[in-house]
Amino acid sequence: MKRVVITGVGAISACGIGADVLWGAARDGRTGVRPASFPRHDKQVVKEAAPISDSDYEIATSSVNTRFQDRVSAVAQLAAGEAIHQAGLAETDFGDRCGVSIGAGFGGAKTMDDNFFQLLGEGGSRRIDPMCVPKIMTNAPASWIAMKWGIKGPSYCISTACSSATQAIGLGAMLVASGAVDRCITGGTEAFLVRSVFASWEAMHVMTNDKCRPFSRNRSGMVLGDGAAMFVFESLESAQARGAEIIAEFAGYGTTNDAGDLLRPDRYGAGRSMRLALDHAGIDPSEIGYVNAHGTGTIANDLNETLALRDVFEGHFDRLMISSTKPIHGHALGAGGALELLITLKALTEQVAPPTINFIEVDPKIDFEPVPNTAKPFNASAALSNSFAFGGINASIVLKLHNA
Amino acid sequence: MTNIEGDLAEIQSQLLDIVAQEGMIDRESVKLDAVLAELDIQSADYVMILMAIEEKWGVYLPVDEELTEAETVGDLVSLVTQKIVQHRAGIATA
Repeated sequence: MKRVVITGVGAISACGIGADVLWGAARDGRTGVRPASFPRHDKQVVKEAAPISDSDYEIATSSVNTRFQDRVSAVAQLAAGEAIHQAGLAETDFGDRCGVSIGAGFGGAKTMDDNFFQLLGEGGSRRIDPMCVPKIMTNAPASWIAMKWGIKGPSYCISTACSSATQAIGLGAMLVASGAVDRCITGGTEAFLVRSVFASWEAMHVMTNDKCRPFSRNRSGMVLGDGAAMFVFESLESAQARGAEIIAEFAGYGTTNDAGDLLRPDRYGAGRSMRLALDHAGIDPSEIGYVNAHGTGTIANDLNETLALRDVFEGHFDRLMISSTKPIHGHALGAGGALELLITLKALTEQVAPPTINFIEVDPKIDFEPVPNTAKPFNASAALSNSFAFGGINASIVLKLHNA
Repeated sequence: MTNIEGDLAEIQSQLLDIVAQEGMIDRESVKLDAVLAELDIQSADYVMILMAIEEKWGVYLPVDEELTEAETVGDLVSLVTQKIVQHRAGIATA
């Protein structure tokens, strides 16, 4: 297997445009969560979310033809463009030896919402945009990235709810490691904060009407967010041959299925996922310095994830820096694992663990304090990021410093 | 006073109906001292129960709040009843 390195990153989120903007917000505890209201949603009960701002959507969509593309594809390309620019890839670096692997949950949600309203809503035009299907389809972002840069190797779209991006990125890394491609553009994208999708999440009753407080006493649920984050993965040889600057190394990937309850997580499924990623990386749990938790802020996830982390890290658990950055960028579903892996990468290279904001106090039921409210320095050569999805799908990624 | 008590009894009765219907379990087995876990109510059933409560009384309850503390049908009923009363008071004072 080939060693896989990261040579470029890019992002857009409720915190703004740019990987450094996202990282700065996460490190300094500046949240993108704000009051949000949805046109035509007259029964809205949850009042906050972390949408990408209208002005940032305008920037993202200004460079694509919106007749053919939903904004979920536009933000994916914006983030991919930043990553590709940083990696310094030339036109000849794409083609047959490059792949695309993108996570996406809801696809073209705005197109769907707008068109279904026209078709079914009171006062709607009863007409459907002829480009509705190609704009909504979940694989559209992967295909637009491939078309924009001339990427002719394998392209995949993984849609596994909250684990979409982490699985897509894991797969992207495996494509490079196996030698199937020399490099891969990989990440996740989600632009699902529209009335019908938000109302569907309200109906699940998993969102808080307070603040999202992962692992904290008095937590009462999650907060949703839009976003996209992308990475350029390359084989070590390809990166060295181009003289590219290596940011860090992709070290390991693990994924499992609980095969239990559709919605309720299982500590053993989550634990096996982390162990597989650590084994794949060939590193001891004690070498991990920081974990970006799935940390949704729901009772079920946070209790389950804490138990799983204790199982896996044992005596090292109490020395480990763990945080959830979801109260900063929101739970971005299909993009969540990508935003969080980017934060994990920056945390690792800067040796700073970003905080879990809105943390009040330790919940005696889980007896665990994540990095609370303020960032903390750490000293370690590896970090781990988790994503756990409805459907019982768990995925974990380990990154390590290059030449550490 | 009688009105409020009568009202609460009505809410309780309707809640038991909702638990039976949305949890897809026999109405006879939904007694106040019944343990929720033993009634074979799945995670998805709780969501359906909460949605039915929201539709009926307009009160939004996340799955994650005090609800996770409820062990018996009685716990669930008293929690939800309390939330409905609070919700009504909130509307009255708004």
